Amino acid sequence: MLGTLIVKELKAILASPKFAATFAVCSLLILLSIFIGIREYRTAVRQYDEALQLAAQNVRTQASWMGLTTTTYRMPDPMQIFIPGVNNDIGRLSAINGFEDVKLKNSTYADDPIFALFRSIDFSFIVQVVLSLFAILFTYDAVNGEREGGTLQLTFSNPVPRSAYILAKLAGSWLALVVPLLVPVLLAVLLVMLHGIPLAPDHWARLGFFLLVSLLFFTFFIALGILISTLTRRSATSFLLSLAVWVTLVLIVPRLGVMAAAAADPVPSIAEIEARIDAFAKDRWEGQMKEMEGRWQGRQEAMKGMTKEEREAYEQEKEKEWSNDDEAGRMSVQKDIDTYSTRVNEDLRNRKLNQEHLAFALSRISPASAYQLASMSLAGTGVSLKSRYEDAMREYRTAFTQYVGRKQKETGGQGGFRITVDSQTGFHFSAPRERGTLDVSDLPAFLPPVIRFSETAASAVIDAGLLAVFSLMAFAGAFLAFQRYDVR
Amino acid sequence: MAERPMFEAAGLTKRYEDGVLALDHISFSVQPGEVYAMLGGNGAGKTTTINLFLNFIEPTEGEARIDGIVTHREPLKAKEKIAFVSENVMLYPNFTAMQNLDYFTRLSGRPAPSRSAYREALLRVGLEEEAHGKRLKGFSKGMRQKCGIAIAIMKNAPAILLDEPTSGLDPQAGFEFIGLLRSLRNEGKAILMSTHDIFRAKEVADVVGIMNRGQLVMQRPSGELAGQDMEKLYMQHIAGHTGLAS
Repeated sequence: MLGTLIVKELKAILASPKFAATFAVCSLLILLSIFIGIREYRTAVRQYDEALQLAAQNVRTQASWMGLTTTTYRMPDPMQIFIPGVNNDIGRLSAINGFEDVKLKNSTYADDPIFALFRSIDFSFIVQVVLSLFAILFTYDAVNGEREGGTLQLTFSNPVPRSAYILAKLAGSWLALVVPLLVPVLLAVLLVMLHGIPLAPDHWARLGFFLLVSLLFFTFFIALGILISTLTRRSATSFLLSLAVWVTLVLIVPRLGVMAAAAADPVPSIAEIEARIDAFAKDRWEGQMKEMEGRWQGRQEAMKGMTKEEREAYEQEKEKEWSNDDEAGRMSVQKDIDTYSTRVNEDLRNRKLNQEHLAFALSRISPASAYQLASMSLAGTGVSLKSRYEDAMREYRTAFTQYVGRKQKETGGQGGFRITVDSQTGFHFSAPRERGTLDVSDLPAFLPPVIRFSETAASAVIDAGLLAVFSLMAFAGAFLAFQRYDVR
Repeated sequence: MAERPMFEAAGLTKRYEDGVLALDHISFSVQPGEVYAMLGGNGAGKTTTINLFLNFIEPTEGEARIDGIVTHREPLKAKEKIAFVSENVMLYPNFTAMQNLDYFTRLSGRPAPSRSAYREALLRVGLEEEAHGKRLKGFSKGMRQKCGIAIAIMKNAPAILLDEPTSGLDPQAGFEFIGLLRSLRNEGKAILMSTHDIFRAKEVADVVGIMNRGQLVMQRPSGELAGQDMEKLYMQHIAGHTGLAS
């Protein structure tokens, strides 16, 4: 009996004219999105390789250990082909040196804002928006449409258990919609392989999990459509209701969750934080200048009454001591600023994390959010992408500055800025130019953070579980509602 | 010993949630090989009676039995013994006549018959062979009605329930339909039919019941009605219960 009902559902959907149109649109979109994703990924890889070479060359041509600066880049990941997430929103590079904090800059969307405006169509977007809408459009009249068409009466004039009928509705619709859609999905994966995109076993595991999560999400909307069709008598009503629910779940709740979290737990803007750090730095440097002026005046006092020769001899004798004093003062100020900056940034990060957790918790009411979060976690292109790279870059910055400090000592000089004071012209800053290139052959290389399947799966499993629960709840609702459904 | 009736209404009563009394303690029975025609106007209670036999609704009082099985207690078992043809047979428009027949035959719980059995059933109801493989979306009401009868035939149920089966059919189709009913009766099927069509009822029914406002106001074997003006009789009973009798 169940088999007969399932086969009929399959046939009914496959024979409907809207199926052919839907299948064609979905296949085209999926293949197109993957094709574009592959092209963008390859461009990103090429740019990344060129940027690395350029950065290495730039380091080799620098003249001062003290002012040594390099640039680190985010490495493209093949998973961004399927789920770009925030990949194009966050910066691609950060300067690494001893005097500025790590900050990812030059995002793709900052370079090309037009793409930020309309975003690109990627695979996860197709599943989240297009396929979920199609799932609703195929199932909104699953039960009430049969009642209106008169076939429900004829069906239930036979010994058909209601539980078997509603189960067949879900299973048949699921098979009729999912199996054909697996064809373009598999073709898309084949396209990725044919283009020689390097997919490690870890990527395959993440991709497999992502497809499973996509299926769960799709299942939810199939079950939701059936639920709505069992709760309403007329298909016109269920169509409008389904659309309203879809818009709420896919377009409104995810945004509302983030907006509510921002209102409930506000976080200062980056500009505000930068202004605070700048004010602190300015204050400290002004203090340092006053201290230097004081020291200079003390030195001048000490040289009062000396002849020019005595003065020069005294200055020569004290030069290193004075230079060390000035350097120590400068280092102390820089350390204070760094400490303050770290503290403020840490505080900002914690507050952002709290806001993020609240936003995610609120928006997870929607399966669309759960799906988005799960897919981005699996791809490693979620909001944690930024902090993951910034953490790795900060770690690298520590190794880099230690390396620079060691090199400075090894090469004998402080390598710092020279500050000269003249009674006529005031302060002068200069760097002791070391002619020729620096030997940076042993400069530690930046290793992009590697995200493993086990880590991504751990964070995605909650959302996958939520999607399973949502699907079960929708189906249980449909099951219960249909037990009392008036088939006349 | 009398044969067990195939259809049996015993004090069947239905009061809807809004308080409307749709059926008021009606009792009748239909034996195998008998056609029972329920006559009555709109709101008389004919469709409610059919819905009770199909267990689409549950009775407030009394029982509807099919071959002794109380429909609201064992609905699936009761439905194994009943075939239903509605006033306006609606099947799957994107399926062919053959596919629709196959699907509903499988739903009846019968082992899937051969293709030739389906072909024979469709030919028996008068659906030409060239239409068997065509989708139903282009079928007329009469053609769909024929498919509905073919489904009932394939189910091979001992009890057949017809809700206004000749409504909207042209005279030729109506005539063919009556012939088909006679042949089913001759096979020993018990047929319970609701209709507005007094003349068709007289033509085929063994027993005629007139319903009005949820009550069975008259029930007579058609033999007793021979020579009587059915229309006059019908109006007398309807009028007698509506206060229109002069």
